[in-house]
Amino acid sequence: MKEKHIIFGAEKVLKDNIREAFKAFPHIKRMTIYQTCASALIGDDIEAVAQEIMDEMPEVDIFVCNSPGFAGPSQSGGHHKINIAWVNKKVGQVEPKITSDYVINYVGEYNIQGDQEVMTDYFKRMGIQVLSTFTGNGSYDDLRAMHRADLNVLECARSAEYICNELRKRYGIPRMDIDGFGFEPLASSLRKIGLFFGIEDRANAIIEAEIKRWQPELDWYKERLQGKRVCLWPGGSKLWHWAHVIHEEMGLEVVSVYTKFGHQGDMEKGISRCEVGALAIDDPNELEGVEAMYKLKPDLIITGKRPGEVAKKIRVPYLNAHAYHNGPYKGFEGWVRFARDIYNAVYSPIHQLAFLDISKDEIRTDQSFVTRKMLSDSQLSPDIVNSTVMREYTGEFDSLKHLRDATYPQFPLQGKLAAM
Amino acid sequence: MKQAITDGVEALMDYIMKNCLWQFNSRAWDRVEQNKNILEKATQIMCKEEVAKETPMERCYWAEAQTMVEEFLKKFPWLQTMDAGDIKEMMAGLKERLDYQTITGSLNQELKDPNY
Amino acid sequence: MPCELKAKERTGVINPIFTCQPAGAQYASIGIKDCIAIVHGGQGCVMFVRLWFSQHYKESFELASSSLHEDGAIFGATHRVEEAVDVLLMRYPDVKVVPIISTCSTEVIGDDIDGVVRKLNEGLLKEKYAGREVHLIPIHTPSFKGSHVTGYDVAVEAILKHFAQKGEPNGKLNLLTGWQNPGDVRTLKHLMAEMQVDANVIFDIEEFDAPLMPEGNHVAHGSTTIEDLKNSGSAIGTIALNRYEVSKGAKYLEEEFSVPAVIGPSPIGIRNTDTFLQKVSELTGKPIPMSLVKERGIAIDAITDVAHMFLAEKRVAIYGNPDLVIGLAEFCLDLEMKPVLLLLGDDTTTYPDDPRIKALQEKVDYEMEIIMNADLWELGNRLQNEGLKLDLILGHSKGRFLAMDHHVPLVRVGFPVFDRAGLYRQPTVGYEGAMLLAERMANIWFADMEYTANKEWLLNMW
Repeated sequence: MKEKHIIFGAEKVLKDNIREAFKAFPHIKRMTIYQTCASALIGDDIEAVAQEIMDEMPEVDIFVCNSPGFAGPSQSGGHHKINIAWVNKKVGQVEPKITSDYVINYVGEYNIQGDQEVMTDYFKRMGIQVLSTFTGNGSYDDLRAMHRADLNVLECARSAEYICNELRKRYGIPRMDIDGFGFEPLASSLRKIGLFFGIEDRANAIIEAEIKRWQPELDWYKERLQGKRVCLWPGGSKLWHWAHVIHEEMGLEVVSVYTKFGHQGDMEKGISRCEVGALAIDDPNELEGVEAMYKLKPDLIITGKRPGEVAKKIRVPYLNAHAYHNGPYKGFEGWVRFARDIYNAVYSPIHQLAFLDISKDEIRTDQSFVTRKMLSDSQLSPDIVNSTVMREYTGEFDSLKHLRDATYPQFPLQGKLAAM
Repeated sequence: MKQAITDGVEALMDYIMKNCLWQFNSRAWDRVEQNKNILEKATQIMCKEEVAKETPMERCYWAEAQTMVEEFLKKFPWLQTMDAGDIKEMMAGLKERLDYQTITGSLNQELKDPNY
Repeated sequence: MPCELKAKERTGVINPIFTCQPAGAQYASIGIKDCIAIVHGGQGCVMFVRLWFSQHYKESFELASSSLHEDGAIFGATHRVEEAVDVLLMRYPDVKVVPIISTCSTEVIGDDIDGVVRKLNEGLLKEKYAGREVHLIPIHTPSFKGSHVTGYDVAVEAILKHFAQKGEPNGKLNLLTGWQNPGDVRTLKHLMAEMQVDANVIFDIEEFDAPLMPEGNHVAHGSTTIEDLKNSGSAIGTIALNRYEVSKGAKYLEEEFSVPAVIGPSPIGIRNTDTFLQKVSELTGKPIPMSLVKERGIAIDAITDVAHMFLAEKRVAIYGNPDLVIGLAEFCLDLEMKPVLLLLGDDTTTYPDDPRIKALQEKVDYEMEIIMNADLWELGNRLQNEGLKLDLILGHSKGRFLAMDHHVPLVRVGFPVFDRAGLYRQPTVGYEGAMLLAERMANIWFADMEYTANKEWLLNMW
């Protein structure tokens, strides 16, 4: 949009834009249009324009989301808008092909570094049809068929509980909150879903195999991360996904949690997950964050990319809570990757060098390198150091490659929820 | 209440608040339903009684309850030694505690939102 | 004429090359010491720009938002600016400069930021912060005009208008750098030092490459002071390096304070650096020293190693800020390369009047397209559907998928570059920049030769 459009309106420009886009990418037939501050303030009727195009081009479908920046205090308002708009305008328009007796929508999952692929792999191994994913690695038309699922499996309640609640009210589809992070929570989640469909034995088989494969590696990192102090500072809901389980399964001390756009419910959940003495802060500003870091002196901060740069400056390593470092972090293998990233950050020899002031401090000249194990194992008992059971991570750089060629067991359809 | 029962309530409460999500739905009325149904079914399971799990909603409550009870039994061996009467008393105490923590005593103002 | 200048035919933008004006204004503001700008608009206008800067530099920069909400859109939100200024001054006792940057939302609703600044100057600053030096500068940068390039230009002009004063002639030469990296600023300062010119670098962003120190919290910050900005009015001349990014500011200094302004050229490549030094010499009376002759010689020596053997005939597409694109095209021509597609990413109407573009139109002897108001789909479409053959692309990281999908090596230049480490530390200007650029293009081409088994054995004997 340009200045003249602010005065004279931009609906014609929008229409041209839509036509040009579909022409440039002729194999794409679906579009989402987001309203922004400027178009909202001048009152352009984007819905009407979209409808005109859909009348002109019947093979095309367009979703309009009215979420201008000023309409809410944070991105959370936008989540709400899109949840409600989608369920009001698009759910129910497509009848899907049902290929399994067990059909779920996987909601509140955004496929960070392949998280969604990891989780759908488990579901497929159980013979569950993931009808749609809202919205990571998802498909427009699948999401228009959400009303046909038996169960809504919800990960990020902060961004997507709204659509789960509406689907429950309108179509009677139950909402089941799960957690794909951590061995216990993930096992419990798979079991719950299995029980719902009467296929818990399939879940148990997967859990057993995965734990056998990955527990020795998680344990290796757990021994070395005991007592390390962590600030868990994500933007939304990871504070409650991770606060308890990283303490239980990796031995970390969570000294602080915060959330930037989380609601009171996220604070409730986050505080419940913490141990006594943790500092919970609601949407701190820059100065508060720095003050907290100086006061708490954590060994690691798990936060967003830009606040992580601030942490780096006061010599605290950071891990990217949102986009991860070397993810995915969901799944059993993913959880070990997370532990490994934490280990590599906390015991980084180069990070330690930042504390040396070569103008004042004594410089050791007898040490030309330091390894991570020298730093992490110096206080450990010989039993642990020499354990033949525990081992470091043995997975690939790209842990998803093998999933792409995977084949899945076929469970023939027996009619609606035959096992129930 | 006997000490063992009071201790039991605390232990189960701590477990639920640290590990479960079903008690955190976003409206007070929703939490009332969740707490009531899931704890009721959990009690029935622990007392080896029949559990209704026909409708999808019932089945969902049951799956939550069943998973939770399995974890209780793994983590809290003393549960095996409790008789049905004590279990029911404990679970009633737990419900009271949970309702207070997540509904009546909660500072979360969004619970009162009339929408949805 | 085989070199054509034309506008993109489509109305819409698919994969934009530029972001919007407030980002440009914010980039200008972080170059000033003890300066935190307040962006009057929704929080996203600041949050995403901070993230954008943070991606490029792997550093965090301080910027504030007035956090416009729905009620503000209806009733006006200037009170939020007042509150924001108060809180900012309270919590950051060292802040002296506070640009108030408008955005599309606040321009559409017509919030009077000039009025607010007057009100604060008369009211809050006198009452609560008497005795404290605070400069509030309104900057109008709606996002439905121009791009981050014009936003930067508008901001520099507003800042100079606020600060520049007439004093005793100070013998300094104003260097309005335009949108540069710390490596560029370091090189420019080096050239000035060799010429023994007292340069007033606006904005001095060398400290953006901030260290990890054993003590304290060394956040990245700009180093241009209020003194420097005031001194700009008493300089012996101004060189505005980038015509589309700083000419407004330079012209203002000329009109208001008779500080002679020279617009361009961007010192990209040997020839443009020569011209730049010539202009500096004319304005200051200082001669060009032997040390620079030697430095130039080292660069030319290095460049001739790769030019006619490897770079000749290489077809390149270039996109990014306009002065960067034009400068790189000119340099590539000197290197015997063939820039075939130049993308100028916004709807500035003065491109046809630019003598550099006219020169390209007149003298280029093979088919070259220069597209105004371009987007990345202009490049993508030609690669995908029109059989465009390219050996290299010069541009920023937003083109990475294009480059990967079509297997054309991308030489990262410009802003933002976030998918390579440390490039902001390398200059693209000056003799050093020219040398490093030529060598980097060659090295990237060499790696591509190896991965595509494309006569890589040539390098065995090089």
